[in-house]
Amino acid sequence: MLDAAVRRALADAVGAENVISDPVRLRTYECDGLTGFRQVPALVVLPRDAEAVAAAVRACHEHAVPFVARGAGTGLSGGAVPVADGVVISLQRLRRIVEIDPVDRRAVVQPGVTNLDITRAAAPYGLYYAPDPSSQQVCTIGGNVAENSGGAHCLKYGFTTNHVLALKVVLPDGSMVTLGGDTGEQLGPDLRGVFLGSEGTLGIACEITLRLLRAPETVRTLLADFPSVRAAGEVVSGIVGAGIVPAAVEMMDALAIEAAEKAVHAGYTLDTPAALVVELDGPAAECAEQFEQVKAICERHGCTRLHIASDSAERARIWKGRKAAFAAVGWISPDYIVQDGVVPRTRLAEVLDRIGEMGREAGLRVANVFHAGDGNLHPLVLFDDDAGEAERAEELSRSIAELCVELGGSLSGEHGIGTDKACSMPRMFGEVDLEVMGRLRSAFDPRQLCNPGKLLPTPRLCGERPGPYRPHPLEEAGVIERL
Amino acid sequence: MTTSKTSGRETTGPVLQPADLREAHEALAGSVGQVHVRGGGTADGWADALRPAPVTVDTTRLTGILAYNPADMTVAVRAGTPLADLQRELAGNRQRVAFDAARVRRGATVGGLIATADSGPLALAYGSLRDLVIGATLVLADGTIARTGGHVIKNVAGYDLAKVTHGSYGALGLLAEVVLRLHPVPAASVTVRLPCSLAAAAERAAELASTSLEPVAVEWYGSGVTEGHLLVRLEGTAEGTEARARAVAELLGPGAFTVRGDEADAAWREHADLVDQTGNGAEAAVLRIGCRPSRLPGVLARIDPPGTGVTAGLLTGIATVTVPAEPAGVAVAHTAVTAAGGTSVLRHHPATAELPAWGQAPSAVAVLRALKKELDPDTRLAPGRFGAWFTGNTGGEGAR
Repeated sequence: MLDAAVRRALADAVGAENVISDPVRLRTYECDGLTGFRQVPALVVLPRDAEAVAAAVRACHEHAVPFVARGAGTGLSGGAVPVADGVVISLQRLRRIVEIDPVDRRAVVQPGVTNLDITRAAAPYGLYYAPDPSSQQVCTIGGNVAENSGGAHCLKYGFTTNHVLALKVVLPDGSMVTLGGDTGEQLGPDLRGVFLGSEGTLGIACEITLRLLRAPETVRTLLADFPSVRAAGEVVSGIVGAGIVPAAVEMMDALAIEAAEKAVHAGYTLDTPAALVVELDGPAAECAEQFEQVKAICERHGCTRLHIASDSAERARIWKGRKAAFAAVGWISPDYIVQDGVVPRTRLAEVLDRIGEMGREAGLRVANVFHAGDGNLHPLVLFDDDAGEAERAEELSRSIAELCVELGGSLSGEHGIGTDKACSMPRMFGEVDLEVMGRLRSAFDPRQLCNPGKLLPTPRLCGERPGPYRPHPLEEAGVIERL
Repeated sequence: MTTSKTSGRETTGPVLQPADLREAHEALAGSVGQVHVRGGGTADGWADALRPAPVTVDTTRLTGILAYNPADMTVAVRAGTPLADLQRELAGNRQRVAFDAARVRRGATVGGLIATADSGPLALAYGSLRDLVIGATLVLADGTIARTGGHVIKNVAGYDLAKVTHGSYGALGLLAEVVLRLHPVPAASVTVRLPCSLAAAAERAAELASTSLEPVAVEWYGSGVTEGHLLVRLEGTAEGTEARARAVAELLGPGAFTVRGDEADAAWREHADLVDQTGNGAEAAVLRIGCRPSRLPGVLARIDPPGTGVTAGLLTGIATVTVPAEPAGVAVAHTAVTAAGGTSVLRHHPATAELPAWGQAPSAVAVLRALKKELDPDTRLAPGRFGAWFTGNTGGEGAR
């Protein structure tokens, strides 16, 4: 429970009318997009401007109350799960597009603006904001900054971090600073860069300056079916090997296609073992030239059907099928878990074989949808909670993420570590690595009040030991020893 | 580990030359006192001057590729590897690190280029090294070895410590190993050149930015701001690049012409010579500037460089300007940049001159100070590089 002094201080900071304390309304904030982790906060504040955010953080700091920033709550790693007896600072009311500057091709926005609204505001100038997470209609740019969100087109265009020039940040002590600047230049160590993807643990971004890109002259999209996931994977390698950097390369397996077709009828072939969506964009002549190359590579690897989007409506339909795939598995399974892991692209076929085996062993189906160009997998573990399969499904899902690390990849490509994977971090990083990350966190937040319990493993979350001892890869290589 | 007695700089003790991560750890864990970290020595005179230190860790033996799988388009290297050497290896597979800072040709190392936050004309299309580094292994001042990132381009697990090494001038840790994202070498590259003033070039560049012609570099260079050359580089497939080059030449107007191969290389070399003036003229100081592209011509006009060299990235907002090495003039230049909301830092300057190295310190300098304390509590590394940032007195510009 928060004491009365804290409640008063927060009401003073944001205005009493912008404080939620009614238990029923507080329940709205108990989880994010990963609904398995729930915690009702003690209080929610909805500041109306950056100064009020800073005042709220200062109040929390002074009274040593933990706080969690929250955007649209679409995150998939439990990064915005409230802290017991803590405060949620919602950025939903900071949703102003401050400036679209078509000359220097930049946008200045508040954190509660949705990703897609930035592109909508830039479109009249022939500009757009490149990162496009699947949830872009609802997710906020503040959340994208916290998670360093990617999307289907990040193979060519990069992630949020590559598109943020500057951040006005409220630090965990309530002071306000600017990280980054008007260009890619910064003086001294790149704090802007380390803040990006810090999952709300280093402060709250209250104003964000973004790069906008000129919309490409042409976009060409094809949908191709293959007799096996392996053949589709070879096509991806073939495209990259030919020196082509596609705007997007997405793969779906039979189960994912079945679900997507049931949900949105996007024109995918049922029963094909694998389908690839390949999109090229850029100057028209070059796009056409490379598109022919891609078609030839597809045919060389036994493509069974090749469909080229003839206009933007058809292209949108192909993407609708792909982007609907997550939610669509609800049509073929009562419950599911979305996983997010990364492997080096050359190990895609191997990891998919292993996932198939693990699924069979666990007696659970796994649908695969992924960004094949950068090896970012999104296995969907299907299960039935009523049949008591939940625990097995969670176990399988976690094993898949850890398998990605074993194969030289990462625990997360875009959803973040949050609450969900904090206890898996020792699989990817050594104890010392994590300790040094903790020091970085302390430099920003010495009192550990800003989104505590996320990203790094804690004894409370993971048991007394932060995870099983595992030799550091450098130890295994004989490069270092345990000192 | 190789140890030698002198480094040719103001050190009073040993020069340690680790050849691998273990030796890099030993060099820092086993030494006492303040430390200079030195790579290729191509940016010795950048930022604030180092104060003398008893130990130098020299990374010129910390070289070599650790892992390179061309199909994954990533490479892991020891940080002392000269980038030019790495590029030669990668070229065999028609791949590259899409990065072209001028001093690469003088043997700048991967680690040094990251630590100094350097970049070249290609930054317009590919960003700087912070956009291309996907993993790193650092050795902290006490020898602690910390790994960050990984070997895959898409990865959001943990804090990205590599980012804080970018622009750190070695003050937070020694970069021992780096994993880089690679790009394909384009099939064709054509440059369009137009002799013109900076102001005229800026207008053309703004027009170019409103087309879909996708130049990968747009730079102006000249001696002052009135006479010089605009260079626009296009890369891509053979036919498509030629077609776009024609369109760019048409947009730039009468006097524009295309250059390729050796001729293009020579034009870009002239540009690089002005950026990289370290060996040229003991009396001059070189300032690196970043500001909104639309404000850049105005800022450069206010600095009014005396005809010794200007380069301007007209769409990146990054410029290099050579000014006389006297404190008042350099301070005026910093002020002009700060007034336009930009950043400025001294690069080369004569060893004898006492000049304000940094423009206005960042507003988050207190965080930097806290970070320094966490990672290098005894302030061993790179003493002096950031003037008074880490000691608390950052009032005014270029505290020194």
